[in-house]
Amino acid sequence: MIYAEHLRKEFKKIVKEPGLKGSFKALFKPLKETVVAAEDISFHVPKGEILGFIGPNGAGKSTVIKMLTGILTPTSGECRINGKVPQNDRKNYVREIGAVFGQRTQLWWDLPLQETYLVLKEIYEVDDAKFKKRMDFLNEILELEKFIKSPVRTLSLGQRMRADIAASMLHSPKVLFLDEPTIGLDVVVKDNIRQAIMKINKEEQTTVILTTHDISDIELLCDRIVMIDKGKNVYDGSLHELRENYGQTRELVFETDNNSKLTEEEFRKGLKLNENDLVIESDKNNFKVRFNSRKLPVGEMLGYTLSLTKVKDISVKDADIEEIIRNLYRQGEKSDE
Amino acid sequence: MNKIRKSYVPFMKAGMQNLIIYRLNFIGFVIGGLIYCFVMFYLWRAVFASNGGDAFLGFSMTDMVIYLFLSNTTSQLIFSSVSNEIGEEIRDGSISMRLLKPVNTDLSYMFTELGTVFMKLVVLLIPMILGLEIYRYCATGNVMFNVGNFLLYLFSAVLAYIISFRVNLCFGFIAFYVKNLWGIGILKNSIIGFLSGSLIPLAFMPDGLRVCLEYMPFASMSYTPVMIYMGKYGTYEIIFRLGLQIVWSVLLYGLSKLIWLGAIKRLCVQGG
Repeated sequence: MIYAEHLRKEFKKIVKEPGLKGSFKALFKPLKETVVAAEDISFHVPKGEILGFIGPNGAGKSTVIKMLTGILTPTSGECRINGKVPQNDRKNYVREIGAVFGQRTQLWWDLPLQETYLVLKEIYEVDDAKFKKRMDFLNEILELEKFIKSPVRTLSLGQRMRADIAASMLHSPKVLFLDEPTIGLDVVVKDNIRQAIMKINKEEQTTVILTTHDISDIELLCDRIVMIDKGKNVYDGSLHELRENYGQTRELVFETDNNSKLTEEEFRKGLKLNENDLVIESDKNNFKVRFNSRKLPVGEMLGYTLSLTKVKDISVKDADIEEIIRNLYRQGEKSDE
Repeated sequence: MNKIRKSYVPFMKAGMQNLIIYRLNFIGFVIGGLIYCFVMFYLWRAVFASNGGDAFLGFSMTDMVIYLFLSNTTSQLIFSSVSNEIGEEIRDGSISMRLLKPVNTDLSYMFTELGTVFMKLVVLLIPMILGLEIYRYCATGNVMFNVGNFLLYLFSAVLAYIISFRVNLCFGFIAFYVKNLWGIGILKNSIIGFLSGSLIPLAFMPDGLRVCLEYMPFASMSYTPVMIYMGKYGTYEIIFRLGLQIVWSVLLYGLSKLIWLGAIKRLCVQGG
């Protein structure tokens, strides 16, 4: 369905020295620098899969999405979607895809929302009956009725994002590219949007590529994740596997009356763990243990701590995506050496 | 044809609606243009008065009035802001949203703009022609309106719009290379204002320069249709001028396509 082979994108950037003097210098003798936004990215996605495409800020996610949607031309490498190269026949290719860029809107800024949908209906040649059915469906999951007659510029971020998602799904695309569709939204709206993605994926076998920084988006939606960093692939596989391999860190937080007795050395000695696998932070009432759950099961750690002190409350935190990325990244650095 | 109607007419409607939403903007645009015309009118009246005579290089004062008002209206009618539009979309990166639509990029720009052109035709050109004909009747005592010339004027104005659109499109694509167009945009507008004869009739310029300018695409932009309307051209010259406009439309169409192919490869979307 989607093949990306060794995608690479370079930009030329004019570097300016700081200050007014630097600006003048750049005006007459611009210093050009090549920036590599994506170095070597390859993956493929079968039909009907929801792929989580993740990585830290500046990793090159948006650049890759823009190459896949035909907006940018790769410097080298190739991508094919439905057997089509996006750059070769952009006009026909984009008929089959939908895209949402969280920071931008495809809605007509000054017109009532409804008008945008009517324009899209004509552009994508959706017939009347299908359009009506589709709008009802989108209305139902994304709750657009309340603001469908308001000009887009008056919508709140949550409303606008729902409207944008609806716009990208209107023509029943085969592939949906969602670049941070949940950025800056509250829980209810996030949930609406996730429902919409799930439903459309289930009912129409739409292939979805999703970038996000929100771990729950990935947990709820994605079958598989591809992680990139600094323009290169770093991981490709299921979330479960990723957790198993890299996200073994767990954090336990105990609320105690008196934790002065609990020291890091004592824990290390008692549990036979070294400083890589166990870190303790404590303040007046809280006592935080971060440890490697592969070396020591969570249950044992709980039992050990309970045997030492009286505990009022406990919470267990899973490794979050940032933590996993940090771990992966650290490993990448080690293997470079 | 039907496909074009279906996929691009919505752009035109949206363009018209935009104009209605920002109607104060539009009214300002019209009034500003009129004030400019009157300033030019008084300036030229002073020139005619100091000349002492009625006619000046084949232009009577009545001719001059028609020329000033009609050429100004024509340049407003065919004015294309597509280069600003592209420049703005490149500067803020929203061009990517346009590229995601299954439409021709240049046609989508053109039809959005045609919406405003149509509105200008109704609220600007038609009242202006009426006003000018009433003025001409009062000044000379004859009805001089010529339907044939008016229709030829419209045809020539359509070609003028295509030329103006393509020139601006080519210019707008420069934004792919320089990222911000504002400064050179002002330069471009004043150069076109001079070269197209909307500031000073080309007939008043020195012969060598005049001939050069008359062959350039800019002269076709408002000078040609206005001269046709005023009946300053004979049949042969009308055919020649319209032919020249068609040649320029085709050449500029080709040029803009060529630049587009190069520019799209260079596109880098700013800001995420």
